[in-house]
Amino acid sequence: MPERRVALTGAGVVSPLGLSFPTFHDALCEARPGIRRLPPDIAQGSGVQVGATIDWQGSAHFKEAEAANLDRAAQFALVASAQAIAASGIETAAHPERCGVYWGTGLGGANTLETAYKQVYGAAEWRLRPLTVVMGMSNAAGSNVAVRHGLRGPFANFATACSSSAMALGEAMHVIRSGRADAMVAGGSEALLVPGTLAAWQALRTLAGADPADPAASCKPFDKRRAGLVLGEGAAAFVLEEESRARARGAPILAFLTGYGNSCDAVHMSRPDRDGQVRAMRSALEDAALAPDAIGYINAHGTATSVGDVVESEAINAAFGAAAAAVPVSSTKSLHGHLLGGAGALEFGAALLPLLHGVLPPTAFLDQPDPACKLRHVPKDAQRVAPPRAVMSNSFAFGGSNVVLIAERV
Amino acid sequence: MDTLARIKDLASKEFSLDAAALDPAAPLDKLGIDSLSFIEFMFKVEEEFGVSVSDEDLKGIRTLADLERHIATALTSAGKA
Repeated sequence: MPERRVALTGAGVVSPLGLSFPTFHDALCEARPGIRRLPPDIAQGSGVQVGATIDWQGSAHFKEAEAANLDRAAQFALVASAQAIAASGIETAAHPERCGVYWGTGLGGANTLETAYKQVYGAAEWRLRPLTVVMGMSNAAGSNVAVRHGLRGPFANFATACSSSAMALGEAMHVIRSGRADAMVAGGSEALLVPGTLAAWQALRTLAGADPADPAASCKPFDKRRAGLVLGEGAAAFVLEEESRARARGAPILAFLTGYGNSCDAVHMSRPDRDGQVRAMRSALEDAALAPDAIGYINAHGTATSVGDVVESEAINAAFGAAAAAVPVSSTKSLHGHLLGGAGALEFGAALLPLLHGVLPPTAFLDQPDPACKLRHVPKDAQRVAPPRAVMSNSFAFGGSNVVLIAERV
Repeated sequence: MDTLARIKDLASKEFSLDAAALDPAAPLDKLGIDSLSFIEFMFKVEEEFGVSVSDEDLKGIRTLADLERHIATALTSAGKA
């Protein structure tokens, strides 16, 4: 049986850099920052100074009563998915059993859970609203997408921290390849900029403080002055379709998802491991049947932590060998922050920029590259290039989960 | 505003329905209100009227008119009517 190739036919984005896939790409091209000083009502006593927040009005996208019954993470998911489905033009109602949803999230309905805990522990009010469970559960966002569009095929929700939504995309590709579905909506969302969760992250001592001169420049991956990651929120969704069906209906094919690598460090809960990352990159290349020199851009995980950026740089060099010197690498987290469970999907969307428009998105604010991060950087500003044959997106998570995706141009 | 009007007003907001078109005698599922949505709605009704409807009584509520009777009874027994 010939291999069923997987086309990307639609994309949707809700991000600190804009509320659509095209505006997200525009912001990356212009290196427009989405990180800002957190308002006091969000930061409260957590000590977290900056974040990549979205100015979100649920009522602009949902009826008031509907918005009240959807966690912020589910609202992001529904809006991004609706954009992706509309862009692809797919008629999901025609064969709903052949179309499914694979979604990724780190914490799920963080706002809902925090509201409930605050009420119980803060105010000793134990009478919680009945929808607390179905709004707060981690599969709520993906399930809402399936319900909204009547997608009755395979469903899964991945919660592997920062690799969650990349894993959703990779596994969704396998579902189509294996013939268990013809189309999948896949992506991820996160909305956990709430005081209690921020306090937990602050306790981990891995967040950057505000840059004294420019809070928007607080996240500096691969830079000698990097001080840690900056949390963000949002969602990204894609429509994946079996190629022949996409072509038969004249769908707009953005690119092909051809490589998926998945490994576990199995070494440490938070310290990244070079060899685990190398295994995931090699396995993605093998899956796509590509040599390293076919990759024309890597969207790095690049969180801007002192250890993480060095380990990833070493891993890229080990996995790519001699080809590493030529492949441009950037971390767009410097602009949109770290979306955690939504990061893999959003950054996969960033990695498509060179394929679609011949533009390498930059590592903004990279003025002083750390010699320990020996990579071909795309510092500060976007660069024009001939669209490469293929791009790679890395997502490495707490718990040691490594996911690498490869997309190829049409 | 009487009890039924307040209930209809709450229901119209919760379910995005036209309050004037809400038939108090219509079964809830015919109004497009499923069981989970109704439980969430009851949470707000109890807040609005400051009363509590038992799980047992809840099972007997099939229309907005049923709900009105239960609320009226609860308000009377609580001395609020």
